[in-house]
This record gives sequence, structure tokens and C-alpha cells, in this order.
Amino acid sequence: MLGKKLSSWGLVGTLVLALALSACTKSNGAGNNPSTTASPSESSPAASSASPSPSESGPDASAPVAAAAEGPLGKYDPPITITTVRHFNTGLKFVAGTDWDNNVYTNGLRDELGILIKNLWIVDDSQYSNKLNVSMVSGDLPDVFEVTLQQLQLLVEAGAIADLTEAYENYASDLSKQALSEGGGIALETATFNGRLMAIPESGSSSRDDAQFIWIRTDWLKKLNLEPPKSMDDVMNIAKAFVNGDPDGNGKKDTFGLNVDENLFNGWAGLDGFFNGYHAYPFNPGGQGGTGMNLMFLEKNGRLEYADIQPEVKTALGKLQELYKAGAINPEFSIMNGMKSAELATSGKVGMTFGQFWNAGWPLNDMKIKDPKVEWGIFPLVSADDLPVLKTSNNIVPKRFWVVSKKSEHPEAVVKFLNFFMEKNYGETKEIKYNALEENGESKPTFGLAPVRGGFAETNQNDYYLVQEALKTGDETKLTPKAKDYYDGINRYRDGEVALWPNEMMFGTEDGSSYGILSQYKKNNEFMTNAFLGAPTPAILKSGPALKDLQVKEFTKIIMGESPVDAFDAFVENWKNSGGNQILAEVNEWYQMRQ
Amino acid sequence: MGQSRWARDWPLHLMVWTGLAFVLVFSYGPMIGIVIAFQKFLPLNGLFGSKWIGFDNFRYIAHMPDTSRVIFNTVFIAVMKMIAGLIVPIVIALLLNEIVVKAFKRTVQTIIYLPHFLSWVILAGILRDVLSPNFGIVNDFMAWLGMPRVFFLGDERWFPFVLVASDVWKEFGFGTIVFLAALTGINPVLYEAAVIDGASRWKRTLHITLPGIVPIVVLMATLSLGNVLNAGFDQVFNLYSTVVYSTGDILDTYIYRLGLHNFEFGVATAVGLFKSAVSFVLISVSYLLAYRFANYRIF
Repeated sequence: MLGKKLSSWGLVGTLVLALALSACTKSNGAGNNPSTTASPSESSPAASSASPSPSESGPDASAPVAAAAEGPLGKYDPPITITTVRHFNTGLKFVAGTDWDNNVYTNGLRDELGILIKNLWIVDDSQYSNKLNVSMVSGDLPDVFEVTLQQLQLLVEAGAIADLTEAYENYASDLSKQALSEGGGIALETATFNGRLMAIPESGSSSRDDAQFIWIRTDWLKKLNLEPPKSMDDVMNIAKAFVNGDPDGNGKKDTFGLNVDENLFNGWAGLDGFFNGYHAYPFNPGGQGGTGMNLMFLEKNGRLEYADIQPEVKTALGKLQELYKAGAINPEFSIMNGMKSAELATSGKVGMTFGQFWNAGWPLNDMKIKDPKVEWGIFPLVSADDLPVLKTSNNIVPKRFWVVSKKSEHPEAVVKFLNFFMEKNYGETKEIKYNALEENGESKPTFGLAPVRGGFAETNQNDYYLVQEALKTGDETKLTPKAKDYYDGINRYRDGEVALWPNEMMFGTEDGSSYGILSQYKKNNEFMTNAFLGAPTPAILKSGPALKDLQVKEFTKIIMGESPVDAFDAFVENWKNSGGNQILAEVNEWYQMRQ
Repeated sequence: MGQSRWARDWPLHLMVWTGLAFVLVFSYGPMIGIVIAFQKFLPLNGLFGSKWIGFDNFRYIAHMPDTSRVIFNTVFIAVMKMIAGLIVPIVIALLLNEIVVKAFKRTVQTIIYLPHFLSWVILAGILRDVLSPNFGIVNDFMAWLGMPRVFFLGDERWFPFVLVASDVWKEFGFGTIVFLAALTGINPVLYEAAVIDGASRWKRTLHITLPGIVPIVVLMATLSLGNVLNAGFDQVFNLYSTVVYSTGDILDTYIYRLGLHNFEFGVATAVGLFKSAVSFVLISVSYLLAYRFANYRIF
């Protein structure tokens, strides 16, 4: 009898326990979804930059006061705790012994500024937005957190974040002020609402490094006796040759000439550069990441026109249709995401892709490590005619902002975070360990661990010049810590360490590296920037997503040959009538106010 | 000598009340969130601070250009899934019932039930490879037979059928087992009597087997009727892409895109409420019909 009783107890107990525990979920970044599409900017070397000339900073570690410590880098005594939330790219790697609560930044901020950082939760990039929304609903906002422009607007509207105008005025160090005032102060302007600064925008991402290049398998070019492209006609021919010439030498016609995926426009396998060659500047990414609300407008005859419906786009679409017919584009591209198109390239099935400067770091580096004989070269965009090709480049408007919850007792802490970052990366006490640490021959970035980041636009570019100088003269003394890192990487690659190939491809030579070619782009300022710099208007918010679906579908159908190229004109009419006219009206209203 | 009822029954009470508490807290409690459907909801203002706008969210949905197309897609796909999801398990159950070798029967049962445990994320990846127009085995097989290659996941004409077929493949195991169980409940004496009277196998199926499982079929049909607006977000989200939106976009994925990018929580909740209301009506109606026509009380 007792035995039976015990076993029924046991059963009941188990069931109850199971029910109760089923409500518990595990947070803290365990669920890793591979981040889709766009640039894994956290793990590419130096998305921020280091200016070669150390300017005056304000390392004022004096006068500890009980409450808010004075000075840009004043220390809090007793220490204060600031809560924050973080997100990370799945490529993030920690050096042994370090983690989110124990790294150069947490330790530095604790020791030098008396600020203890408490991470309330940490999730993968793709889940950050949703998790933040949950926090917002539950009223559980951390002291400092990162938001997009749209979230910033929502927070300002709801009156949930602190006014940072005074905090910035009183506490920002000179370095921080310098970084945030670049580009005519557009970054601060974007974060200013009704004359009050409501967020600290991200600085240092405006160096035009979202311009595209052409990445080509140079070993395939060699095999087929082809020269690198000098015009869009060359690009067309190369693409077709890659299909028919059996460049991988396996006797099967299984290679493609141009990498395209469902995003259409992207930093990897995007068509931005292709369109640029025909003087078209469309930009409306499809796929999961595209919102349809970041639209590109060009100034024509005193008015703003939507870039994606210009006649030049039609010409380029016709060329893409031609390539598709010739078999140069993977027929499945319309359902492939960025990871799949990366696989296509790294498995040696496609020989040409348009992309941004960091493609050598991902995904091409893995391919190089596996098979060092594979050769990818990088080339400048080319034009279809005599006019120079302008590259779409829109990163002068910041995309990331740091805000402070209204309930926080120390709104100035966010400014101090920035000061600390700037000082340790660009100031007199800068050290390479705040940018990256090396372990087992691999460079592991640490700058992404800082709660607030900033930088100067031209750092990467300046580092490139320093590296070039050092390579010529052999004189290492003028190199900044990051530049030295690249310099060493290049030399070690040239000595045979294949894993450091990305350094060569980004900073190695004037004609064969991203920053080398970018410096050529910059000589004549060959860029096309969005003429519309405001936040998405109500019409864009309302019709943007539906119009994006329409556009992506039409473009895809034209490329695949399911619609004739002339269907583009019908699309333009459709776009205008389905809300496009309203969008143009509002955008031009903004433009007129700015004149 | 005789235990009191309480001393005998308390483990049962514990199980029931725990489950009930769970349902109350996680299913009934959150119903208060329905008010979001009538508000211009901003997460920071919370449930009680957001502006009340009455039926404006519903009006907004009704006026969206794609709403009617999306609702059509949802109903079309869901109805097809329901029908196929009834017929296939019944047929398979009938076939399995005829098998004499118990071991084989049980093995087959287990194998067909396994896909139910795969998540759509995994299955989507598999399906993409299998259905690929250039490298997939389905198309390779079709080409070998001389048929033209079909871009299943990228062609808006095929996409809904791919959804239905893959979903049926994944879930028919569950229905099959339910119907098999129902089949074993049919009195074998009826079969023997029919054989004596000279009924063929087909006639036996038609007049004994099928009527014998009608109550279960009605039950399964009613349960799935409540799902008519639930065409399966998980599956569609993992398999669709912009090019198949016109036939593959269902209510849930449409609202997901709206809600995610525009932070239109009020609208998303309004749609959810609408779906629940429709399901409620349908289940009530089918319960009444089942009672009237099949004399079958579900609850």
C-alpha cells in the first residue's frame, strides 16, 4: 500500500514539476540563428576608425565626487551601476577567459570610471528588436540601450527617454564632440527632436565604405584568358564566359556568372554596383531584412525623384534579363537568402559578385582558408559608357543610436561611455586591446564589446595610407595600433599565413584592395548619396512595405524573363498610383523646407 | 476501512488544478490583451496608457489593398489542408488496417508519425534542396521522365500546393493513428456477418468501416474547422519569398510584416481577434451540426 502511495506521489510530483518548469525559457544568447543578409559589421575589422593625429582629449580623472563625477572621464566614487542590454553577431568570438561580464571594457570602465555594467540580457542580432519591444512593454527599460531611428522616434513620442542635451554639453570630451560633429553635424541633427538631443548617434560609419566593388575569381579569368572588366560590356562578357567556358574545369556546365539573391540590393551579392554601372541608383532590398522604408531619392531639376523608377533602371534590368537568359544567374535566386548565395560562392559555383569592402572577411575568407589556390580579386565598378560611374553610398546618416531611460539616475553615463571608447581607441591612452585581441593567430575584435561606440569617418582610410607608407619604407613607427595590426597581418599573409588574407584584400595594395580602390573613388568624390535625409514620412511608413513587395516582385519577374523589359513602365505607373505619388509629395515637401 | 474520497482522489485533484491554473494564467489571463486591438498601442504606454481608437484598427485592415487577397489565400490553403488532412489519414488508416503482420504495421505507424516532430525550419531547408529546379531530386526525376522542370517554391501557381502537400506529409501520421484506433473499435462481428452475406471488400469498407468511424471523422473535422484561418504561419514563413506573396501570403505572415516593421501592434492584435472570433463561430456551428446530423456530442 505504501509503495503504491509513494509511486502516485512521485507521478504527481513529476507532472506538476514539468508543468511549472515548462514556462521557463533560456535567454542569454543560446538560441543562435545565423544572422541573415547584410553586413556583419560587428566582426569586420575596424568598422570604427583611429585618427593618426592624437588630438586633445580630456582624460580628466580628477575630483571624484559622491554623485555625478565631474569631467568627461571623471570617476564615480562610490561606483555606480548602469544596466544595459546587448546583441551580438553569431560570428563573435571571445578570447579565452573573457565574456560579456569580464572583458577589457567592463574592466576598464569599472577601474577607471567607477561604472559597473550590468547586462540585463544579451541576444543574437536577429532577436534584439523583438526582445527590446518586450522590455518596452513591460516597462523594464535598461538605463542605456541601442535603438534604430524608428525605435528612437517611438521612444521620443512616448516620452520614455531622457533629454541628453545638457549631459552632452557638460560631459562630452573633445574627441567625442569631434567625432559627432563630422559631416556637418548631421549625426547630431538626426538625433535632435524639437531642439533637444535625445540620443547619442553612432559616429564613424560615414566613410563611404558602403560603396561597392566587383569581386571576381581571378583564377577563372586566367583560365579563360580574360582581362579584368573595364566596362559593363566586359562584365556581361565575363559573366557569360563563366557559364560556358567551364572555368572550374570539371567538364560540367554548372557554374554561374553573377551572384544574385532575393535581397537584390545588399552589401553581399547585391546588384547596387551593377545598376551603378548604368547610372541607376535603385536601393530597396527584398528578403527578410528589407523594410521598404529606406528609399533612395535623386535630385533632378530642383525636385526629388524616386531612384528606382528612373529609365536607367530599365536599361540595367534589360541587361540582367540577358544574363539570366544566358544562364549566368542562378534560377533559384529569388528564394535564396544571403547565406545561400554565400554558399554558392564558397562552393565554387559562381565567379563574380558585387559587394562591399568587407566581403573578403566574410564569406570569402573561409573559402580561401580551405583552398588557398582559389583566387578572388577585387575591382572598381565600371561604367557602361564614357561617363564616370558613381557609387551609391548612403552611410552618412547614422543608423544606430544610444538612448537613456528617463528613470536612469545618471544620464551622463552614456556620454562617459563614449568618451571612454574614444579615448581608448583614439586618444593619448589608446591601446590595441580595445580594438582587437589576438589569440592563436586569429584576431578577435573587442570593440564590439563596448556599450557605446564611436569613431571618425576616415580612420580606416587613414590606416590604409599609413599601411601603404609602412610597406614602402619599412618604417613601423608611425603606425597606429590598428594600422600596425593590418600591417603585420599583410606581412604574415605574404609569408604564407592564408588565414590573414582579408588584411591583404582590404589594405594591401592600391589596385587590389578595398581601401586602395576606395581611395581612388574618393579622389573625385564619385559617389551618389540619397538626396532625402529625413526620417521615413507617413506615406512611406504606410505604403513602403507593400510597394517594396511590388517592386521586388516586378524586378524579379523582369530579370527572370517572365515579364518583358517594357513591363517596367507599367510598374512605374502602378508604383505611383499605389501610394508613390503621395510619397513623392511628402518627400518634396521636406526638400523644399530645407532649401 | 474505506478511505475518504479526498484521501483517495487528492492526486487527481492536484493534477487537474495544476493544469487548470496553467491554462488560467497563460491562456485566460492574457485575454485582457484584447484591448490592444482597440488602441493605438505604444509599448511604452502599456495597456492602460495607449490611446483608445475603437474600431479604427479593423477599418485600417479592411482598407489595406492586399487584405482580400491575403484572406483568400488563407482560406484557400487552410481548406485544402483540412480536406487533404482528412482524406489522406483515412485512406492510409484503412490500408494499414488490412495489414496482418503486426510488426510491419507498427513500424509503418512509427515512421509516418516521425515527420510531425521535425520543425519547419529544418523541413524548409530540406524542401528547398529537394524541390530545387536545377539540383533537386524531384525535378531530376521529372526531367528523367521527360517532363519540364518546375520551380516549385518560386512559382506562385505551385506554391500553395507545395504548402498543402508538405503539410499533409508532415502531419498525416497523427490523423492516421487516431483513425486506426477508431477502426479497431468496430465490432468484428459486423464484418463476419457481411462476409457471410457475400459483401465484397469494397462493399464492406463502404458500409461498415466508414460509417463506423464517422463520429471520429466528425470530431477531427470539427477540430480542424476551428483552424480555418490558421493556414500555418510557421510553415509559410519558412518557405515563402517575395515572388510568391500573391498566392502564398497568409493573414499571419502579412500581419507579421506589418507588425514587425511598422510596430503596428494594435493592427496585429485586431487581426488576431478577428481570427479568433471567426474560429469561435465556426466551431460552435460545427458542434451544432455534428449534434444534429451525426447525433454526436463532442463535449
